[in-house]
Parts: sequence; structure tokens; C-alpha cells
Amino acid sequence: MSVSTHNRRTQLWVGCSLYLYLAITLFLPLAVIAMWAFYDPKVGWFPPNIVPRSFSVSAWREVLSDRQILPSAMLSLFVSTVVTVLTGLLAFPTAWALAQFPFKLKRAVEVFVLAPLIVPGIVVAVSLGEVFFSFGLSGTVLGVILVQTIGTLPLMIRILTATLEGIPKELILAARTLGASQRTAVRRIALPLAWPGFFAAGLLNFIASFEEFEKSFMVGAPQVQTLAVRLWSYLGGAVLVLPTAAVVTFILLVPMLVIFFIAERMLKEDVMASGLGKL
Amino acid sequence: MDCSISIRNLIKDFGSTRVLKGLDLNISAGRFVTLLGPSGCGKTTLLRSVAGISDPTSGEIWLGHRRIDGVAPEKRNFGMVFQTYALFPHMSIERNVAFGLEMRRVAKPDIARRVAAALDLVGLGQHARRLPRQLSGGQQQRVALARAIVIEPNVLLFDEPLSNLDAKLRDSLREDLRTLQQKLGITSIYVTHDQTEAMALADEIVVMKDGEIVERGTPVDLYRRPAFRFTAEFLGMTNVIDAEVRAGECRLPWGAVRPVENPDERNVEGIAIRPEDLSIESTDGEADGVIEQSMFMGAATHYWISVGGKTLRSIATGGHTAVLDNGQKVKLTAPPSLHLLRSFQPSPGAVS
Repeated sequence: MSVSTHNRRTQLWVGCSLYLYLAITLFLPLAVIAMWAFYDPKVGWFPPNIVPRSFSVSAWREVLSDRQILPSAMLSLFVSTVVTVLTGLLAFPTAWALAQFPFKLKRAVEVFVLAPLIVPGIVVAVSLGEVFFSFGLSGTVLGVILVQTIGTLPLMIRILTATLEGIPKELILAARTLGASQRTAVRRIALPLAWPGFFAAGLLNFIASFEEFEKSFMVGAPQVQTLAVRLWSYLGGAVLVLPTAAVVTFILLVPMLVIFFIAERMLKEDVMASGLGKL
Repeated sequence: MDCSISIRNLIKDFGSTRVLKGLDLNISAGRFVTLLGPSGCGKTTLLRSVAGISDPTSGEIWLGHRRIDGVAPEKRNFGMVFQTYALFPHMSIERNVAFGLEMRRVAKPDIARRVAAALDLVGLGQHARRLPRQLSGGQQQRVALARAIVIEPNVLLFDEPLSNLDAKLRDSLREDLRTLQQKLGITSIYVTHDQTEAMALADEIVVMKDGEIVERGTPVDLYRRPAFRFTAEFLGMTNVIDAEVRAGECRLPWGAVRPVENPDERNVEGIAIRPEDLSIESTDGEADGVIEQSMFMGAATHYWISVGGKTLRSIATGGHTAVLDNGQKVKLTAPPSLHLLRSFQPSPGAVS
């Protein structure tokens, strides 16, 4: 709706920069791992060759012949779905309170909520691993779900708060004067308006959960192996085995692509952008 | 049902700030009352308390014989129109207007009929299926109005509904609002800081300042005979002149003497002469003042006249007279009688 006040040169410049950024951060790495995933170990790939001299699917055969891949993928889908829903349910009341009620120390509470993000993941994983062990949650699916939820909560709360803050309070008040109870006003007015933001938050949450390794490994392994944990073993222990690692990367990318494809279908471009833009 | 509103000793504190200092106000059924005052005077808080979307700290609010403070807003059956329109952006115009009826579980065919009637009433019948953002600000506010009246509310509440509109739209919507309210006869409370709007719309104006009611009256009374200097200066333009009252008569700075309408007033803080009541006439001989500046406004010409070191305003209407030059000497004619103004004293014990 907004009318651009920038001239064409600025638009061109910004557009090209964004594409360059995308190329460097997304397509270049993808291209490199694609080549690694399909290179031929019998021939090898050595400098100064920029592209391998011959290709094969041997790395794919090795990874995909693992009978544990499919169960792990199903487990991951299940865990990530539950984690996303659980995180959303837990985050909503906090986000609602933060968005709706002005109170002293509000900023302090917000910082407090985000604080866990500062601590390096491995530190959290090790210490939480101890705690979960003492609760008897080690090696259980429930334990993995809970430990992932702990990790995804702060960001979820942040995004939901931003989304809910964007809904004018007058809309809720207007609904109240028209005869809606607080609950009905939230259900009929706030939730539909917040939905794009919630959807975006859910997507990011799902992805974060799907590729989460440290905490899932500490709490779940070896009994419970999510796809990320399972695939991690293909990275090769002491030596990084690049071809299998590249295949792993591609496998982990698949659900992300599926999700974004669905997202694009379900949301109009501008709604999606406004939801994600609030990050 | 008795749709009069009675407010008794209403107090509202925000933290340590008292924004409503024990207000008493009665509004008879069917009246259109505006709450007028500068920003921060508590008018919006008072309106929101009546609507039930702000909880007063203490005091009572009555709708007829029913005490309603403490009643949830959705149980009050009051229609409210907001400054920001507050239309639900994800619903069509039709569904916005239908919302209140759906909440009341009105039968579907009745909803359709009443929504159509309400939209026709505000002249937007043909836009029923559009989304709010596809309408202009003025149209959106009409939808908000339709949404508020379709539920047949006991009371209509307006929170500066015209403030976000440009001048021309504001004028036309103001007229429509007045016509509609008179046609429907719904008790209305209208908050504004715009004195023109208040005078044009209201049966009665309640002037507020710092969480208290200064005075109330019909627009004509408040404009012509305000009790307080605050009212005189807030409602329109006025010259406040130091008064010297003796034996019921007042001597004006340029020597004219006029009888005073209310000579027994206490706490006098001058007299008020409206610029349009102070007429001027150019003279070459003995003059009362000199024109400092003039401003031609089309329908009227505004003059600033220096009288004994002070500046008074005068408004000359009628397009036939020439605009007088700066420096022109003039004689002044005051209205036949004068009105003394009191100073407004905040009530004792009020926290500011």
C-alpha cells in the first residue's frame, strides 16, 4: 500500500545487494555441498579443480542404506511438531501479559525471558543433561521434547509478544463494548489478526527444533535419536567426512523446503513478510 | 427503559496521579452531551469508565435505576465509537457491523436485515462486502457508527471520533452525526477537545479541567454567559479585560461604561467581551485604539487593536466593508451589557 519515495537507482542498488547477499549466504554454500554430496570418491576432488572431475551417488547410498534414517526422521517430525505446539501454548500467556499489560520492570522481564539465548547451547545442554538425568528423563522422547522446548521458548515468547503488541488495544475494547467477553474477543479478533505472526513463529520454532543437536544428544542419546542426532554421526567422528556430511545437510534441508513451500501456499506474501518482519 | 446516566463521586487514580477527582454528573435520557476540555483533563477516562473499559477507583455509575459500575462492558449494551475507528481489519464491513448482533445471538435473517438497514442509514450500503482498509477514513468512521447503533444501544459513547479526519470530512460527518442522533434519540456522550465540534453537536456541554467539572450548560449559555474565565477562553476566542466594577457598572479601559449582568460575583477575574461583540469604526478624531494587525478570513475580518498598551481582538463580519489598514485609529463599541468572569478554583483536597 505504501508508496515508494525512493528513486529507481536506489531501488536497483538495494535489489542487487539483496540478491548478492542471498547468493553468498544461500546459493554458494548449497552449490558447494551439492558438489561434495555427488563427488566420486574413486576419482577424488583436489585443487586446483573448482568442480570435481567426476560425480557419483556413493555417499548417498551409504547414508540412505542406514535403516535407522526413516524411523529417526519420523521421530524428528513427531518431536518437532509436539515441541512447536507445546512452546506455543506455553509462550502465549506470557506473551499476552507482556503485550497487554503495562507494568513496571516490563523491560527487565523481557530481558529475563530472552536471557537463556545468551548462554552457549553446549553449556545449556551439558548442565540440563545432568538435571534431566536426575529426573529420570534421560533417553526418553519426553525428555527430548522438554529439553528442546526449553531452548525454543525465549524466541517464541519474543515473536508472539511483538505480534500481539501490534494489535491495537481499541479492537479488543470495541469487541467488548459490542458484547464479546474477553475470551471471545481474543478468539474472534486477536487470534485471527495474530495468526500470521504465530505461523511465522511456529515455522522458525519447528526448524530450530528439527535441527537441534546438542540438547537432544545430551538428553536423548543413545536410546532416542532424532534425525539431527542420527545424521551427526555421519560427520565422521575424528575426521570430517565431507561427502556424507553434505548428504546429511541435504536431508536436513528437505523438511525446511517443504515447510516453506507450504507456508508460501498458505500465506500471501505480504502477510508472511509482516509476520517474519517482526523478528 | 430509563437510559439516563448518573455518575456519583467518581474517582480514578493512575498510580499516584488522580485523574478524576470525585465527579458528579447527571445526563438525562436522550440528551447529547459533550465532555470538553484540554488533553489530560480526564474526559476520556470518564467516558471509558462509563463504557466499562476502564475501572474507576471508587464512585458509582448508574444507568437509570441500575448500578453499572462493576458490570462487564459486554453486559452494558453501550455503543462506542473510537478515534481510531477500531474496525476489525480482517472482517468485511458487513461482518464488522454484524459482530455485535452475532454476540447477541440474533437470528441470521434478522442480522442481515438490520446490518443492511444500519449501513443504509450511514450511506454505505453499497460497500458492505469491502474490507475496512479499502474505505476512506470518513467511510470507516461511518461504519464504526453503524456498528455501534445496530445493537440498539442504551447509550452511545464517542471518543473524539472526528479527530483523525481532515477538515472537510469532519464538517460533513459532524452534521450527519447530529442528524442521526436526533433521529434515533439515543443518550450520547461525546468526548472532544474541539470547542466548535462541542458547540455544533451538543444539547449540553460539560467543561472539564484537571479531573474536575468546571461547569455545564447549553452551548449558547456557556458561550454567552460563562461563569468561569477558563470556560470563556476555552470556548471560542474572547477578550478578557480587567474589570473595575462600581455600583453595578463597569468602566472599560477606553472609558466606556456599561451595566454588569452579575455584579454580586465573587473571585472576579475580569470581564469577557467576544471579538464579534466588539465593533470598530475608523475615525480621524479622538480614538480608543489603533489597529495593529488584520487578517482577512473571507466571511469575516479579524483585527488586533492596541488599546492602552493591551491588545484586543475584534471580528468584523459582512463582506461589504473594506479591510482597515494597520495604524488606522478606531473607535470601539462594547456590547450593551457586560458579564463578569470568576476564576476557577480546584476543589479543596484535590490531588494534582
